[in-house]
Amino acid sequence: MAEERSPNTEDGNMFAQWNESMTTMWGSMLRLWFPDGPAPDQSAADRRGTHGRVRASAEAALKNWQAISGAFSAPESLEALFKGAGAMPEVLAQLAQTSFNSYLEVQQKMLEQAGRLGEHVDAYTFTDIDENLFRTWTEMYEQEFSRFLQIPKLGLVREYQERMSHAVDAYNRFQATLTEFLSLLAMPVGRSFTVLQEQVAELAEKGEMPEEGRAYYDMWIKVLEGHYMTLFQTQEYADTFSRTLSSLSAYQSARNAVIEDMLSGLPIPTQSETDSLYQEIHRLKRRLRALEKEKA
Amino acid sequence: MTQSNIPVDLIMSKLAEASEKAQTKARKGSEVLLADLNTDIAPTPYEIVYQEDRVKLKYYRPEGKPKYKTPLLVVYALINRETMLDLQPGRSVVQTFLDHGLEVYMIEWGYPTRKDCFLGFDDHINGYMDNVVDFIRKRHNLPKIHLMGICMGGTFSVIYSAQHPEKIKNLVTTVTPTNFDTDKGLLHQWMRHIDPDALVRTHGNLPAHVMNLGFLLLNPARLMLDKYVGFLEHMDNKKFVENFIRMEKWIFDSPDLPGAVFKKFIQDCYQQNLLIQSKLQVGGSPVNLKKITMPLLNIYGLYDHLVPPEACEKLTGAVGSKDKEDICLRTGHIGIYVSSKTQAEFAPKIAAWLAERDTQRKLSPKPAPKPAPKRPPKRKARKTPQPKAAAT
Repeated sequence: MAEERSPNTEDGNMFAQWNESMTTMWGSMLRLWFPDGPAPDQSAADRRGTHGRVRASAEAALKNWQAISGAFSAPESLEALFKGAGAMPEVLAQLAQTSFNSYLEVQQKMLEQAGRLGEHVDAYTFTDIDENLFRTWTEMYEQEFSRFLQIPKLGLVREYQERMSHAVDAYNRFQATLTEFLSLLAMPVGRSFTVLQEQVAELAEKGEMPEEGRAYYDMWIKVLEGHYMTLFQTQEYADTFSRTLSSLSAYQSARNAVIEDMLSGLPIPTQSETDSLYQEIHRLKRRLRALEKEKA
Repeated sequence: MTQSNIPVDLIMSKLAEASEKAQTKARKGSEVLLADLNTDIAPTPYEIVYQEDRVKLKYYRPEGKPKYKTPLLVVYALINRETMLDLQPGRSVVQTFLDHGLEVYMIEWGYPTRKDCFLGFDDHINGYMDNVVDFIRKRHNLPKIHLMGICMGGTFSVIYSAQHPEKIKNLVTTVTPTNFDTDKGLLHQWMRHIDPDALVRTHGNLPAHVMNLGFLLLNPARLMLDKYVGFLEHMDNKKFVENFIRMEKWIFDSPDLPGAVFKKFIQDCYQQNLLIQSKLQVGGSPVNLKKITMPLLNIYGLYDHLVPPEACEKLTGAVGSKDKEDICLRTGHIGIYVSSKTQAEFAPKIAAWLAERDTQRKLSPKPAPKPAPKRPPKRKARKTPQPKAAAT
């Protein structure tokens, strides 16, 4: 039994050996950089000054290292440490699994969309809007990645960090909704070309193809206009438009908060301060107007 | 092998012909663009007779003695600029009024900055507008003046007339939204989904470029593409190019919209439709449309995509006036003021309607006014005098 050594004990031995070699190396280096006794041309002031303080700090650091590494070398400490480390891959795997599932969902949407390529397009209908792909991406961001930026911040500068993370998060959300919105706006263009092709094919069958290039443009622009008019009246468009504007406002507010943090250390008034002043002036002017009317 | 129905050779030869024409047009077009172009807008001379903060009052005096006893105050919207009423020679509503002998005052709202974001309906209507009306009444020694509102300026004029009926002799509303509960215009549909609080919190005022983008998105195929294709097709025509650029200048010369006005307009008007129900409150007082008892002329465009007829036509039924009239012209929101077709009927109709009700007029105008006569030679704008307002 005594011959059987657990892996952790092996790790402990390895750690102890590495610790010993590191301590020896840094001890030698310290002696090399700061040989015992003052240098011949070193003044008393220098010995008491920067040089002396650096040497003292380095020696203190080495002693601390020896103490900490010694404590870690104890088998029970090492076991606790490696146990924690062993849990890390599980955490990482869990994170990866969640993100991978979302990625698969996006890929599935892409495949579904690709499968619809070449299908007949009904003119002036938007009953099956493909922007779901981008909506899925936005949702994935909101549900997965955004959470990392919302991890509570700690310490003295936590509020600044929080505002910065919030700005980054708001920017990402705005970009996601903007992509959704732009993809929606691009849809009528693609659809109008497909409808135009079908219309031209019909005319060709009848032998009524227009001779002038302008006639094709007129046909296309009419179809395009009709598609936009139809799209603009859908609930999806109204929702996406509204979400894009809201996310833009949210991002700009968050960005302004970060800028105000930066300005607070400079002799420049912030927008909140000037707004407060404007509001006060507005209030006073209204009072003045009321008094003037009352007097007149 | 079946014979194709597509006359490929004919199409190809037409394409070659079109390409040659395009080359010639591009060459001539570049000559036009490089030449001196007159693209000035708002060329009719005026004086600034009053100023309060950023708001100015323009005064346009007709040639010779005015033929109306009562002057007309025109209140434009806070969106875009009042220069649209005097866009170009031959298409100027202001000039047509002057040609009929009507003295015209017009409010220039200016360019709101961040400090104006707290100015709401009350500040604009019972503040600036009321001060302007009082200034004109005092200047002409008259108890009442004529009031004409345009788009949002019309909404302001309706509210003003309801709250100060004793100061308005006749009211003219043009493309004025008063009923917002309609699905006919995209703007009405979209505004229900907007969160004005968030926009105002972020921007202070609603930025003009955001509004302009919104307007372009109402019809991107025509406004962002076809319009410029049309420009390329006519770029060898100097007159066309000049007029096109004038319109471009006007469209994109847009002030920001004060945040508090935007918020109230969206929440109380577009989202709750309070005005037409006489439930709107401005400055702590109700806006009771039944208090509008002066004659009312309500003009709107049949093809207006921003303020459709459904948004305008309920006003005459809601006011207390006995003398009221709706006129629906076969035109759009901007065309009503600038199209050559409506120039002959829109402004002359208003001038005639006012003349019939200008009981103290000095001289009767002709019963059936003719289209605007030829413009007099261009005069230089008179020097701007020091504003007389007592405001800060």
